[in-house]
Amino acid sequence: MGTNAKEEGGVVIINLDGRLDLASGTALKEQIKGFFEQEKYSIHLNLSGVEFINSSGLGSLVSIMKVVRLKKGRLTLSNLASYVQEIFDITQLSHIFEIYAIEEEALNSYNTVSTS
Amino acid sequence: MTDGIERIGELLAQLQSPDFFEREEAVKNLGACDQDEAVAGLVTALEDPDLGIRELAADILAQMKSAIGAQLLIRFLGHEDIGTRNLASEILVKIGKTSVQPLVDNLVDDDYDIRKFIVDILGLIKDESAVGPLCERLWDNNINVAVSAAEALGEIGSPEAIPDLVKAFEQIEDARLQAIEALGKIGDPDTLEQLYNFLEADDPMIQYAVIEAIGHTGVMDSIERLIPLLDHEDTTIAEVSLMAIITISEANGRKLNQDLPLDRFVDYLFDGIKRKDKIITDFTLSSLSHWYGNNVVESVLDVLDSVDEEDSERFIDALSQMEASALDIMLQKFPQASPKAKIIIINILQKNIDEDIALKLVEFAFDEDPEVRAKIAWILGMSGNDEIIPTLHKLAQDEVGHVRSAAFRSLGWLCSEQNADFIFTGLDDPYPDVREAALGALIIVGGTQVTARLTADLYHESTERQRLAVTALGMIGETEVVEPLQKAVNHPEATIRKSALNSLSKINQDVNPDLLLVSLNDENSGVRKAAVSALMSIKGEAAVADIRFLLDDGDIWVRYHTINAIAETGCEQFGEYLRPYLNDDQDVIKIAATKALAQLGCHEALSDIRKLGQEKNEDLVQAVQEAVSLLEGAH
Repeated sequence: MGTNAKEEGGVVIINLDGRLDLASGTALKEQIKGFFEQEKYSIHLNLSGVEFINSSGLGSLVSIMKVVRLKKGRLTLSNLASYVQEIFDITQLSHIFEIYAIEEEALNSYNTVSTS
Repeated sequence: MTDGIERIGELLAQLQSPDFFEREEAVKNLGACDQDEAVAGLVTALEDPDLGIRELAADILAQMKSAIGAQLLIRFLGHEDIGTRNLASEILVKIGKTSVQPLVDNLVDDDYDIRKFIVDILGLIKDESAVGPLCERLWDNNINVAVSAAEALGEIGSPEAIPDLVKAFEQIEDARLQAIEALGKIGDPDTLEQLYNFLEADDPMIQYAVIEAIGHTGVMDSIERLIPLLDHEDTTIAEVSLMAIITISEANGRKLNQDLPLDRFVDYLFDGIKRKDKIITDFTLSSLSHWYGNNVVESVLDVLDSVDEEDSERFIDALSQMEASALDIMLQKFPQASPKAKIIIINILQKNIDEDIALKLVEFAFDEDPEVRAKIAWILGMSGNDEIIPTLHKLAQDEVGHVRSAAFRSLGWLCSEQNADFIFTGLDDPYPDVREAALGALIIVGGTQVTARLTADLYHESTERQRLAVTALGMIGETEVVEPLQKAVNHPEATIRKSALNSLSKINQDVNPDLLLVSLNDENSGVRKAAVSALMSIKGEAAVADIRFLLDDGDIWVRYHTINAIAETGCEQFGEYLRPYLNDDQDVIKIAATKALAQLGCHEALSDIRKLGQEKNEDLVQAVQEAVSLLEGAH
């Protein structure tokens, strides 16, 4: 799994690709832990390049989500491939995570929330 | 022209007909004429005995917007029948700007009732050219006309009227209130100093109006003058001052940076919310993050019953910003809240859920309302507190399926594979949503033990359990599920074989493709197609040698699928396998082969493809055109 991160308007944006499984999920958690240490709890994950996600990958996202919730931050996801969306639907995680069709829509939601 | 006048004469005569339809016809035809005589005829129709005719004439006159019509209508303002007077007024307002000069010309009518009518109409038209004449009417010898003039000037809102309104306030005792209200509607910041002076008025009604007027100026600095009034002994003055502050804040993008002493205004603000006053609602919601207490929370709970769906979301967003102690108060009040308010409270808590709140919420997990139980079950899972697992176990045995479903979903969040056994009970639930929830939970938990139990379930006596098991294993997707899924490609049930292949195709890693070859000869066409996809996914172009024999499969859709799978490789060398199928008996295969050969960039097939352009099937011809275009372009 490859990842690259950037910051835009106070939101950390991470693009993921490849497989989100135990190894890459652990690496992702470590990467995000670095942002948490800098008190950055607004995280957006663009999953457009993720072609496969398994139980461990879901577990990583859930674990990141728990920290974000605890810190009253936000975790948003976008660009889910159909198979990934299917897993989110079956596990009902699509009701737990804030999922947007495209990254721009997700980032706009941060602006809307901060304005209001 | 003479003919036209004659025709109008006939129509005017027709207006006197005893027959309704003839009169109606006459009105319509007069409306189509633009001569003054026709307009005059329409005006007379306003006195028709039938309401329908009168309204028709009024509509037509309003649309014509004729100056002559306006002049004639003004005469009706003194009509003995109040209905006719009102109708004339309405038409004049609708005629709008064209009416203004004729109306102004009649502002000096001897009849003060007519003058008042005209002033009112000018206020409704809101045309600034009437400001000067209306200012003169402030000094009308009839006070009703003067008061109406002040009101009309407020409606028009032009700063040009300010000096006269100030003078009227100072000199006309009975028009003071209307003069101040007009200044308020004009809302010009330049009036502020005078408004501050007027605050000293003895009459409380005047004070209210002055404060409102200050609010309408929208000047942030004036808030400092209003804040002391929040403690005024006259409650109404205090409330009007608060409203003025809110209005100013709203006009300045809610830039009010200081906390106001709001405790006195709990009833006022929450009554405003119940009245659906948007400005008060917005202000109150924005204050709740730092303004709370027992009485506020009680009022919040009270008002939650009257908020609609849209406002409910805004309440949830605003209230979820409240501090933990406010949430505690809310939890204390929870048992007394209505079911609707309870759901909203839970939604608020959901945004703040943590281990502590979860433990407090457990107390209410067995509420009599199943919606409340389901909602609590749902958010308990988000708390991350595994101490509440026993509560979720109980909720997972609730008599209502919806509650059980929520409980199983939450267990997926909280359980590890060591305590996931209970979740398997959900797979036997009679309610499909509960089974799916348990399935989702098991996928999230994953792990060796869950995988082992699901593997056993692949051969469960219940086909539903088999289906759930193969789905779950596929989505768990870890290395340890590969072996059971590989075995499942030989499962007695075709749906399980197909599902196993689909999952292996997605998992892709650690899969032994040789074990899947047998599926290419499966008796079920769906399984054969799934095998093609799986092998292509795992072996890539190396799988073409394995699957090509299915190009001659007995099932047309297996053939179709195989052609597409080969096309996906993008390797031109496989074009020779597909070229024979340009001559297949079935058009759908010819189309697939045409598209596939284009996708592979097989130029050798170009002349054969062109020949298909003569076929009758439009879809085939279109595929040929696109393929030729692609291949020639690439060439």
